[in-house]
Amino acid sequence: MKISNMAWRNLWRRKRRTYITVLSIGFGVLLSVTFTGMAYDSYTKMIDTSAVMGLGHVTIEPRGYNDSPSLEKRLSDAAGIREQLLEINGVDSALERIMGQAMFASAGKSIGGAFIAVDPDMESVESNLFIRSIVEGGLFSGQNSQGALVGTRVAKKLNIDIGKKLIYTTTDANGEIISEIARVSGIFKTGVSEVDGSMIILPIDRVRSSLGYEAEDATLVSVVVRDQRRSDEMRDIIMSKLRNPAWEALTWRETQADLASIITLDKSGNIIIQVLIGLLIAAGILNTLLMSVMERTREFGVMMAVGMSPFTLFRLVIIESIWYAILGLCLGVLITIPWYAFMYLHGIDFTGMVGSDYSASGVLIDPVMKIRLYRESAAWILTALFTLTILSGIYPAWRAGRVPPVESLKEI
Amino acid sequence: MEDHAIVRLEDASKYYRQGQMEVHAVDGLSFDIHKGDFTALCGPSGSGKTTVLNLIGGLDVPTSGKVFLEGRDIGLLSRSKISAIRRDRIGFVFQAYNLIPVMTAYENAAFVLSLQGVSDRECRDRVTAILKEVGLEGLENRRPDEMSGGQQQRVAIARAIVTRPAIVLADEPTANVDSANADSLLGLMERLNRESGVTFLFSTHDQRVMDRARRIIRLHDGRIESDEVFN
Ligand SMILES: Nc1ncnc2c1ncn2[C@@H]1O[C@H](COP(=O)(O)OP(=O)(O)OP(=O)(O)O)[C@@H](O)[C@H]1O
Ligand SMILES: [Mg+2]
Repeated sequence: MKISNMAWRNLWRRKRRTYITVLSIGFGVLLSVTFTGMAYDSYTKMIDTSAVMGLGHVTIEPRGYNDSPSLEKRLSDAAGIREQLLEINGVDSALERIMGQAMFASAGKSIGGAFIAVDPDMESVESNLFIRSIVEGGLFSGQNSQGALVGTRVAKKLNIDIGKKLIYTTTDANGEIISEIARVSGIFKTGVSEVDGSMIILPIDRVRSSLGYEAEDATLVSVVVRDQRRSDEMRDIIMSKLRNPAWEALTWRETQADLASIITLDKSGNIIIQVLIGLLIAAGILNTLLMSVMERTREFGVMMAVGMSPFTLFRLVIIESIWYAILGLCLGVLITIPWYAFMYLHGIDFTGMVGSDYSASGVLIDPVMKIRLYRESAAWILTALFTLTILSGIYPAWRAGRVPPVESLKEI
Repeated sequence: MEDHAIVRLEDASKYYRQGQMEVHAVDGLSFDIHKGDFTALCGPSGSGKTTVLNLIGGLDVPTSGKVFLEGRDIGLLSRSKISAIRRDRIGFVFQAYNLIPVMTAYENAAFVLSLQGVSDRECRDRVTAILKEVGLEGLENRRPDEMSGGQQQRVAIARAIVTRPAIVLADEPTANVDSANADSLLGLMERLNRESGVTFLFSTHDQRVMDRARRIIRLHDGRIESDEVFN
């Protein structure tokens, strides 16, 4: 009889114990997938949301701009860059933008804030969160219009409404102070109060002329890529394509260091959770196998007495643990698939508990908890749990082969 | 090699240390077992029967003296070598719980053959024949818990002889079965000895079992009290 066959039968000597062990591995898969999937879903959402708030997944900007931003620094051939970038496979959008700090004033009040100047003909709901979040009015049209899209709280603080005027004051390309009038065409609400209280969107050509920029000048080109996980790779492709030492391409990790560190921190937390899940499962399997080995001391003694080598006995117990792993992972996949499908498609809506305006570090967080698992993570979880199960079998297996037959034969 | 005994003990002793005391489980034993012997090892409980069988089977090592199996001093062999000798040259039958519970009668009887790497085909022929010989035809697919104690011992005997070992060591093989079964097990062993020339060394303290042996070695406190051959 094959040793794998014998191991399989041994598994079913204590059915309930086997069910419990297999179930615990199965639930381990489910838990592991849920925690990892939740984390990755939220990272992806945070990264993708922040990407459409101005800078993109990858930003092409003047070298040094990231460390000390200023309106004096600019790209000279932004349209050309954009065209080149759009040829790259994996780039969803590439948009020229001017970004800077400004003072906003209405008849009675003034506040400090920031602006992003965009080309209304190029922008879309997909590439621009502010357009996506319009609650009143609309985006200005015509590149040189005087329109402005303002955050709800900006509108409230300045006490202005659709059609009303506001004045923005900033420094131009030469460091001189300039002022310009705009008229509110729409109001947006992202849900992130710092953003809604400080941001306005302006037409790029208008801003170019007020700042004294050339027609092709822009602060940066913001690139949204199809898969945020490929940001680094895309940055390298872009760098090799552009080859202009005055420019640099940076990923969201560099341009939004806050977000990057939040995610890194959260990932470490997730690793701790995964390790704990792993330890819990390992302890269960270790216990099961050790008990089953102890119960069979005499049986193992007989086997060794009639000529089975301790190593074969070791293999027997290891194969038993492999069976546990196979059964546990199959069960895990079986129960995880429907759960994953539900959580991926519908998720659980926590709006009632957290409200719809829930943000962290300037990025909106979706109150609907979903899970999303990348193929690598799934493979990683399964491999890790499989390895862990077998590792847990090593000690019991070693114990099985170590007892001298003459001692074990005395046990009945 | 011709004149070598299958088993030879030369002044073999086994001492166990129990706290301050030293137990002389086997104390300077010397005897030979020859091919075709049908020998009973007798003596009261604690006289050293199991220890002798364990020494011969290489399950235990003597404290002093020598144990030869087919002319080889097993004290000089490595553990894996001894393990292979047990597999290929010795058949074991224990008092009880001989069988692997998850395997059928057939699989138990075939267990050692499969460890030896005998082909499935040859294995099938030999095991089927042996099971028939020990009177278990038709019970091949029973698990140990579906068989009587006597039937289980027959499977153990089948497993022990199917490999055609030099000697079968049986430690109180009839102790856990009723007297009718003990009788028929002994009958089986006798027949195997007579017809197939299987060498048996078995321990017992049952007078009726002793009566059927052709040679009786009596032990007392680890020493030979008497060694008689009958004809
Ligand atoms: N591992 C051990 N440690 C200490 N003493 C032992 C050990 N094994 C056996 N003994 C002692 O050695 C002596 C001989 O034991 P053994 O088991 O060989 O006797 P036995 O004749 O088989 O007895 P029984 O008829 O009860 O099976 C006994 O006194 C026993 O207590
Ligand atoms: Mg004994």
